[in-house]
Amino acid sequence: MTLSVVMKNKKEKFADPPNFTEKKEYRPADVTEKGLVFVGHEISEDRTVMNQFLHYDQLYTIRHGWNSRFFIGLLEGKIMGTRCPKCGDSWVPVRTHCWNLDCNLQKTEWVEMPLTAQVHTWTIAGWSGRSSLKRLPIILVYANIGTSKVAMANELHGMNPWDVEFGMPLKIVFKPKEQRVGAVTDFHFEPVDFWKPTPMNPEKQRIKDLVMPVYEWVKTLK
Amino acid sequence: MSRKVCIIGGATTPFDYGPTGFESIEGGAAECIKETQQDVPEFSLRDLDLMIYSHFSVHFSHQLAPEWIIHDHLGLVGLPHYRVENGGNTGGSALYAAALAIMSGHHDVVGIVGWETMDSVSQSQGSEFIAMASDIRYELMVGGIYPIYYAAMANKWMKENHVTEEDVATIAVKNKNNAMDNPKAQWYRNDHRYITVDDVMNSRLISYPIKKYDCCLMSRGVAFLLVCTEEYAKKVNPDHYVTVDGMGLSSCTIRAGDRLNNPGWTERYGPGYPGMTEFAACRNSAEKAYKMAGIKDPLKDIDFGEIHDAFSTSEAQIYKALGFADEKTIAKFIRDERTTMHGDIPMNPGGGLLGYGHPVGATGLMSMIECYYQLAGMIPQKHLSKKTEVPDPECGVVNSHAGTGTSISNFILRRH
Ligand SMILES: [Zn+2]
Repeated sequence: MTLSVVMKNKKEKFADPPNFTEKKEYRPADVTEKGLVFVGHEISEDRTVMNQFLHYDQLYTIRHGWNSRFFIGLLEGKIMGTRCPKCGDSWVPVRTHCWNLDCNLQKTEWVEMPLTAQVHTWTIAGWSGRSSLKRLPIILVYANIGTSKVAMANELHGMNPWDVEFGMPLKIVFKPKEQRVGAVTDFHFEPVDFWKPTPMNPEKQRIKDLVMPVYEWVKTLK
Repeated sequence: MSRKVCIIGGATTPFDYGPTGFESIEGGAAECIKETQQDVPEFSLRDLDLMIYSHFSVHFSHQLAPEWIIHDHLGLVGLPHYRVENGGNTGGSALYAAALAIMSGHHDVVGIVGWETMDSVSQSQGSEFIAMASDIRYELMVGGIYPIYYAAMANKWMKENHVTEEDVATIAVKNKNNAMDNPKAQWYRNDHRYITVDDVMNSRLISYPIKKYDCCLMSRGVAFLLVCTEEYAKKVNPDHYVTVDGMGLSSCTIRAGDRLNNPGWTERYGPGYPGMTEFAACRNSAEKAYKMAGIKDPLKDIDFGEIHDAFSTSEAQIYKALGFADEKTIAKFIRDERTTMHGDIPMNPGGGLLGYGHPVGATGLMSMIECYYQLAGMIPQKHLSKKTEVPDPECGVVNSHAGTGTSISNFILRRH
């Protein structure tokens, strides 16, 4: 008995690979990829305990796939959202399939959102991750962009931290085109032009008292 | 009816940042088991028929599948093992897995080892690692640390519930001061002082309204919990076992901003809930646990709890999610000192995350162990005094909590 094997065309693929024609590198000169390297150690005086220093430096490729248009939109100064054609819900951050179980993972369509938003909630950071320390204090807001049913986190610039308010209207401001990297840090929120802060009150004063030392502390950073 | 799940022992290493005295993880696990054996001499490693490992981040452990090292070190080759990972709710989820294994009838004696080594990187790098459990595409680079997300949620919650900075500061004071009675607690081992509301109010701004002393500690630590059938409990520790009478596990969105109008919650609790303020997964998992344990009125039926106070503000939010108070009563509930040691429902007598520490994979187990000690009458031998002993407790709640409230479990433990 002979085995019959159906030979498929080797070139037949599940999908055509994308043809990446635009490539940009903006890696700092000191970012290298050496992989895993032991770079030192220390031993206690009584020679019973040892610590070893392992350095791990690895480049990740974040493949945005179906979410890509949002990040490409950032490079172009646009906020791209998605919308479910069945129930009409829309989102930034985007969902490529509807969250409504009745829509049964309906694929969504891309929509360009207006560059306006509204504060849902806010905080004023006086401490942050290593890469953000020098920018402190930071007003961080969650805001609904355009018709989005969800709130998106980003920084609010252009005002005193103690003046931020729930529900305040915002505009979206992008960095200059040449500085954009296709990440959410390409844009921030600012108050709309007609917005005026309310007068000083005890809570604003409390926040001011908490925030002023942060300005001083940041000046001491190298 | 499925089989009863029992807890018959457990122990942690001291929690600390830097040297703890048990400087290898597998060594720490071995010491936790040995301490458990001092309390339960009849328990032999040979009785285990499943090991579950509770560990959050291999970024901290600089080792993939680090549970294999521990398991091997304990001499348990041949025994089935796997790791559970579910953010800050890793410990709770590991107990959930162990309980399912016992309820199913497939396993009888399950050990859980949990740990985290957050001092393997700098504090600020550690904060960034933890923030990688946010959606890094949208959130990591804006804000960059978890306290900021929690502060944004708490700020709005406090306004809506008329809870002040001073109110939540009393929670930080309570837990850190409780930890001063607990020699394994990181606050006892490092800061080692009693604090006041003023100390909290004057500590540095982390993210308004959260200040340094409103925050938990980054830690190194290991914990072991022994879970089994009632038959085995009666055999090896008949006088000091507790039963897991209720358990619930629930989930919410990874990005806190995605829960304003989420259809899953609208379907369960109506429009507008939980918003960015309430821990819906806590309420939902508590409802499941209460139902299973026959808890009708949590304030009456529960004597105390060990809950996930990653921030003083979250403990307040959790009170509400556990049904201790509502929007109208929550501020008074806190001000009446109901959850202090002299209150009617003490919370975190062991110090909680604010005082004991938060080595993520070990944290939920630490809460279980403290709850177990209270119910088993072991506080006088485990804490420094009887100051942090709940008088004659019958029933405790344990809460384990992840993300921005993204996964939450609740357990009802009862003294046998
Ligand atoms: Zn839909």
